[in-house]
Amino acid sequence: MIKKIYLIGNPNVGKSVVFSRLTGVHVISSNYPGTTIEFVKGYLGLGGKRIEVVDLPGAYSLEPSSGAEEVAVSLLKEYPKGEIAVINIIDSTNLERNLLLTLQLIEEGFPVIACLNMCDDAVHRGVHIDARKLEEILCVPVIPTCAVTGAGIKSLIERIKDIAPVRKTELSHEERWKEIGRIIEQVQRLEHRHHRLREVLEDASVRPLTGFIMAAGIIYLSFKIVRFVGEFIINKITDPIFYGTIQPLLEKMTLHWQEKSFLFHLLIGDLVNGKIDFKQSLGVLTTAPYIEFGMVLPYVISFYFVLSLLEDIGYLPRLAILLDNLLHRLGLHGYAIIPVLLGFGCNVPGILSTRVLESKRERFIAATIISIGVPCVPLQAMIVGLLGAFGGFYAGGVYLTLFFVVMVLGWILNKLLPGYSPEFLLEIPPYRFPPLAILGRKLYFRIKGFLFEAVPIVLAGVLFINILLYFRLFDIVTGIFSPVIHGLFGLPKEAIVALAIGFLRKDVAVGMLAPLGLSAKQLFIATTLLAMSFPCIATFIVLWKELGVKDLIKSALIMVTISIIVGSALNFVILR
Amino acid sequence: MKKTSLVHLKPNCRGRISEIAGGVLLQNRLMSMGLYIGREVIKLSYIGLRGPVVIKAGRSVLALGHGMAAKIIIETE
Repeated sequence: MIKKIYLIGNPNVGKSVVFSRLTGVHVISSNYPGTTIEFVKGYLGLGGKRIEVVDLPGAYSLEPSSGAEEVAVSLLKEYPKGEIAVINIIDSTNLERNLLLTLQLIEEGFPVIACLNMCDDAVHRGVHIDARKLEEILCVPVIPTCAVTGAGIKSLIERIKDIAPVRKTELSHEERWKEIGRIIEQVQRLEHRHHRLREVLEDASVRPLTGFIMAAGIIYLSFKIVRFVGEFIINKITDPIFYGTIQPLLEKMTLHWQEKSFLFHLLIGDLVNGKIDFKQSLGVLTTAPYIEFGMVLPYVISFYFVLSLLEDIGYLPRLAILLDNLLHRLGLHGYAIIPVLLGFGCNVPGILSTRVLESKRERFIAATIISIGVPCVPLQAMIVGLLGAFGGFYAGGVYLTLFFVVMVLGWILNKLLPGYSPEFLLEIPPYRFPPLAILGRKLYFRIKGFLFEAVPIVLAGVLFINILLYFRLFDIVTGIFSPVIHGLFGLPKEAIVALAIGFLRKDVAVGMLAPLGLSAKQLFIATTLLAMSFPCIATFIVLWKELGVKDLIKSALIMVTISIIVGSALNFVILR
Repeated sequence: MKKTSLVHLKPNCRGRISEIAGGVLLQNRLMSMGLYIGREVIKLSYIGLRGPVVIKAGRSVLALGHGMAAKIIIETE
């Protein structure tokens, strides 16, 4: 009796897409190895029963060599073999390499069903596989599928019940590769194809000269698109709604309210020149929704649109190759660029995905660097929104400062921490162009995730701050920290409130700076400090989980030290 | 027959892996990704300044760090 179904396969063969098809549970999938770092569970109705389906992280073999592979292999051995079914997902465009794991699974006596995924892409590339012949040789069911479109999934489900273990003698690695060679000769036919544009681009992006030119172009274009789409949404959609519809509505609603009353203070906040100012009023119904929907959400949409596109096409591993050199100086290797890029969206998934890195040392450096030098989209949107008003030079300056800090800090950490940085070994996926529906779904889930996490905290946060401000409870704190804030950083002492709120959420914190009437220099220092000092609480919890208490404290001390040094340097030396 | 490391092999040249001068761990890791002794590979590119080497083995494209690539000895005709 089958109690559990496991999905296992090499990295980047589409396990998560098959999983979504089987269970209806949405999981993020991308075109690079290591998207799934933790196992995911869902359920499949089979013969009137609900059976648990587990999506395992990718593994090249049953002898694990990375953290994610260890998770996969240990979970697979949790249940007796008689009670599980193993669906082995195979990338049809690369049958040879995938068969190693298949043979190992069969040899070890797991009840296996093989799923030849990405069939359409294989045919496209001139790879023809005789599935029936393969089934005869392996003695396990072999089903061709294309999970992205859903083809073949039905027959896959139907044949799960046919699964039975086949005993085969265990081979050594060398014998196994020989066996694979024999199998390939019998089942795979390659059609000779001329190089197409896609292959030419794949090649060009990993060669030094053309690779760097392409990278520069793609990064430049990405920035342009993020800005264009973000500004478009703000100017054409959100601003007209806020200023055209919500403002008159709120003003009508509060016409007869007492401006100094408690409720007015909480919901609307302070009027600027007798009018509601969405950026400065700081009320639960004014600034809080404006920050989230009018300033941050448009950029969340545009950022994740571009990131998801780059992820699914498969460009990121190529960027990793080009940046390997630079990242080695920081004690990391090229693949660390993926957590960093994810961190630009939100630090939480960024730090979680540092698990793709092999050593503890690397994960510590990467997580610390992300917390200090990688501002998340909400923070960036606010920096651009507020500081951008003083000119692009200032907003760009914040990025430049952060980049410089990351380089110096990484270099120092690499020199000081014991150990060495491991070598880079990565499979580079071919370019793929997923259907727009898949991309849209991924974007939808990311935006939904953002809204569910951010909006309640922002509303509750602004409410909480307003209560504290109304009863003047911040006065004690501002008094204590005034020497540091004013003396070292040149900021008005009220800015400490905003810096403290940064622990809750960065976008609200920057929003709190708006009513203080800071100069460009002060705003520059304050936003840089917000980016570098303590991360927000969600990031903090993930750091704790991933690094442990000891390393978390180490990392936090580094953050505080760096913030004080850079903050005072900016104030006294650089921006004098 | 000429022997050279993967780093020194010229781009766009092919050869067979004749030796992996590393520990069992490295050998197993490479083996599970399809790089074993006797395997034919084509070097696609080398990102200079001790950067990674990109090779093609069968239908997989793999990027290897400089240090790792230096341990893989290739035999060319």
